[in-house]
Amino acid sequence: MSYLGQQLVNGLTLGGVYALIALGYSLVYGVLQILNFAHGDVYMVGAFLGYFVELALGGPTKSFLPVPLMIFIMFAVSMIGTGLLGIIIERFAYRPLRKSSRIAPLISALGVSILLQNAAQLLFSANIRSYDTSSFIPSTLGFSIGDVTVDSVRLTVLILAFVLMFALSRWVNKTQVGRAMRAIAVDRDAAVMMGIDIDKVIRWTFFVSAALAAAAGVMNGLLLRGVSSGMGFVPGLKGFTAAVIGGIGSIPGAMAGGLLLGVVESLTQGYLSTNFSDFYTFLLLIAVMLLRPNGLFGKKAIVKA
Amino acid sequence: MTEQTTPENLGIGTDEWVAQHEKRLSRRAGLLGIVDFLNQKVSPLVRYLLLAIFAVGFGALVHNLYLLRIAANLAVFLALTLGLNVVMGFAGLLDLGFVAFFGFGAYAYALTSSAQLNQHWPTYLSVPAIVITTAFLGYLVSLPSRRLFGDYLAIVTLFFGQVFIQLIISSDSITFPGHEDSVDITGGSNGIPGLDQFKLFGYTFKTITDYYWLLLVVVALLLVAITRVDRTRVGRAWRTVREDPLASQSMGIKVNNLKMLAFIVGAAIAGLCGTIYAAIQNAVFINGFDMPLLTLIYAAVILGGSGSIPGSILGAFVMSVLPEILRVQNYSEILFLTVLILAVAALSKGWKRFGFNASLVILLGLLVKVISSALSLATTPTSTWAVGPVSKALKYWLLMPANRILWGNIAFVLLIALIANYSIAKERVKFYLLPLIAFIAIFVWEVRLVIEPNTTRQLIIGMMLVVLMIVRPQGFLGKTRVEVL
Amino acid sequence: MLEIKKLTMQFGALKSISDLDITVNKGEIVSVIGPNGAGKTTLFNVVTGIYKPTEGDVLLDGKSIAGKDPAVVNRLGIARTFQNVRLFLNMSVIENVMAATYAQTKSNIFSSALGLPASRKEEKEVRAKAEELLSFFGTRLTGYRWEQPAYSLSYANRRRLEIARALATNPKVLLLDEPAAGMNPKETQEITEVIGRLRSEKDLTILVIEHDMHVVEGISDRVIALDHGVKIAEGSFDSVATHPDVVEAYLGKGSADRK
Repeated sequence: MSYLGQQLVNGLTLGGVYALIALGYSLVYGVLQILNFAHGDVYMVGAFLGYFVELALGGPTKSFLPVPLMIFIMFAVSMIGTGLLGIIIERFAYRPLRKSSRIAPLISALGVSILLQNAAQLLFSANIRSYDTSSFIPSTLGFSIGDVTVDSVRLTVLILAFVLMFALSRWVNKTQVGRAMRAIAVDRDAAVMMGIDIDKVIRWTFFVSAALAAAAGVMNGLLLRGVSSGMGFVPGLKGFTAAVIGGIGSIPGAMAGGLLLGVVESLTQGYLSTNFSDFYTFLLLIAVMLLRPNGLFGKKAIVKA
Repeated sequence: MTEQTTPENLGIGTDEWVAQHEKRLSRRAGLLGIVDFLNQKVSPLVRYLLLAIFAVGFGALVHNLYLLRIAANLAVFLALTLGLNVVMGFAGLLDLGFVAFFGFGAYAYALTSSAQLNQHWPTYLSVPAIVITTAFLGYLVSLPSRRLFGDYLAIVTLFFGQVFIQLIISSDSITFPGHEDSVDITGGSNGIPGLDQFKLFGYTFKTITDYYWLLLVVVALLLVAITRVDRTRVGRAWRTVREDPLASQSMGIKVNNLKMLAFIVGAAIAGLCGTIYAAIQNAVFINGFDMPLLTLIYAAVILGGSGSIPGSILGAFVMSVLPEILRVQNYSEILFLTVLILAVAALSKGWKRFGFNASLVILLGLLVKVISSALSLATTPTSTWAVGPVSKALKYWLLMPANRILWGNIAFVLLIALIANYSIAKERVKFYLLPLIAFIAIFVWEVRLVIEPNTTRQLIIGMMLVVLMIVRPQGFLGKTRVEVL
Repeated sequence: MLEIKKLTMQFGALKSISDLDITVNKGEIVSVIGPNGAGKTTLFNVVTGIYKPTEGDVLLDGKSIAGKDPAVVNRLGIARTFQNVRLFLNMSVIENVMAATYAQTKSNIFSSALGLPASRKEEKEVRAKAEELLSFFGTRLTGYRWEQPAYSLSYANRRRLEIARALATNPKVLLLDEPAAGMNPKETQEITEVIGRLRSEKDLTILVIEHDMHVVEGISDRVIALDHGVKIAEGSFDSVATHPDVVEAYLGKGSADRK
């Protein structure tokens, strides 16, 4: 029982990270109907930014700030910086293609992904860097329920993930930009005619999407510690899968899909096999696509003829 | 039958005028104009004939093993490109697991023709069996996405590629129920060495030349087959699926079946390529079937022009020769400078301004060199970096800082920022930006990129994909497409 | 020939068609009229299998086709054109028509790749058929236009090509969605004649959605008026055009009284 509980906690933490990445895919998809293949690499940049902020603040061992403040600054700087990168990517790689065929932005996104990955490799070398979390947050810190321990890093990540998801829902539902975003998702032409500044909304969408990915990147750094230029591919793939499982374009769907994926992955690793975990996730994706082609939360699309 | 009747009422808005509109647009200046000209004026038969003569001549006259190996790899790559062109170009499906089928073919050949499982199947049995199996695998992968849009196919296939890699890496110690010991099936990340050579019609393939001729035949047959299919019933139906699936369905075309067919054909071609590739390499390693190869094939299809067969040939040539050139510093420098000069010339719009820009670049370099020596910055000794003809010529002009990585990185970031700015700057600003960008590009190339050929290659591909999508999404030999959104 | 029985089509809370009965007899030309949003195009989409009806049935020659895949419906003998003209724009004019013969032709990927005689012969036949169908519109779509991409055609020619493409599927029933939209008076006159010839020469049963009342008057054996998904009138052109409910649907409440 305790093993199961432990796996669940691990799964939820991992799922929180996936959910944040999945949200980025879904937000962009909702507004532009493109799959932002470069999202995983944006996440990688976020993780690197967090790492460099940590170094700049004297971390991991000689930080001159209290640890919570340091972590806060790592998140804040990484999210804002990566968010700006998201805006830049949209401006140069996607906006010129807004009126072109469906496949062109996908290819362009593939190009951006390759660019980011290799630029990172060129600038930061292929070595794996480490957040080295254990040297500023002792792994013994935390609490236990029965035999299940939730260490403080996992707790921080979990709480933060849920706070960000909650904030995002508020943003989408309550703010002017969020409402405009939903309007564009429903009918872009009508939204433009209603006087919505589509460029502004898309800029915001990319900013938020990239910032969430950055948060996920820093979380991953804190949890697993390793940061490298190729680190974005697999989490990007998983986040993408989570978004599809939840129903792409749906915000609650992305959250649920991410958490589900994290739990499934954690459980299969715990009970079946570590080496074949991706295979089981793949089976989950296939099952969802066969049984609910529009995802768990997706609505059936009406064909316009 | 196509007589040139002049329409009775040539006026604004009639067909004739609209039809000619495209021709007027396509008469472009510069390099792209030449490409268009070649594409439209030289008959396909002549082009293919020239290509065939060249390929046969190459095989007959060249005995350099290195060159033959490159040529054989190019042929495999070309066949792969043609296969992906069927899936993506003809049917418009984004198959991101394409290299997994290639890898599957290669591994299947390795397992049936090596000491790994102690299987040594005859070639005439193993290759057809593998092609059919790969096609069936393609069918299975396409099943879950058959009712769905291209985006969903993309995720399923991308994930499939990832799973394939994980399965291969992890299948080096499989424990079967009822057995104590674990079995090594795929060799994990060590791969499988020592494969059997092809043996067809009683002839055992010994040298790379043998494989070159085999590949020549395979590619020629593929070209003929694909061209024929493209022009007839199935090819037309694929194009309707790409153009407008709903209308296509309403014309009695079973869209899903056709999508799956394209997918299966692509998988089969990839599987076939895999077997030959494995035999040539005499071994299989999983890292040969990963994302970099996928992006390379995609780049080839897109560069040449998605859906265009001559385009695939051109794209495959460029994308497989490019890495070879980049690997050798002398060649890569010459290529880089040529492209840079051409680009500056094209962007300068006029010889006077080109001369002005060129002299500005030279001045800029000298200025930087003078300032740096006045500040007595540490430099790398010329003897260690000026090795090729280009860098030898540049050594009196270019500053080569001691810390190449640091300064190279700074300049790289600056370069990216300037290029991005250039694309949205006003004409007046562009005028000053151009020489600056050119200078920094030379600096970055010589200081940083030259020592990282693999990363550089990927950077170039990434940049090319983005720029191509914006400037000429139909690729070099593709047709301009009209899209209704 | 074509029977629509108690058909209801609902999207969420919106009832686009409710409890609709229509019968089209063999060789008849029936026009469906009604203001925008009356459910005319939805009706076509249900008949051709793009939508699965919420309730009710569609029968072709007495057999149910409701909810069948569009490709299957087409193969059973119903072809259509689209309100917003959905040609394969980047294919040539003749290829558009040739592609539509897909269901009746056989050559598969192997016979095409090998260039087998049967496949070559079929290809020739398909081309001849396409040329013949395009010549149905006089010189409008013949000669040099065959090899031009469809996007180079004028609007009226696109509509003609769409009809030719639909004919290439050998239909028994043809559904035309606003065939005269966007045409000038001369072209409208032409298309009216073409629709008449389609019935006499091609032996077709035709269901037309049209806004242009001259066309409707010129072609229809029978006219059906829809409003908000409900049939409000049916009969000869004159009886429907003067029917108070129809006038009200087009012009608003009270118009009929004022008249």
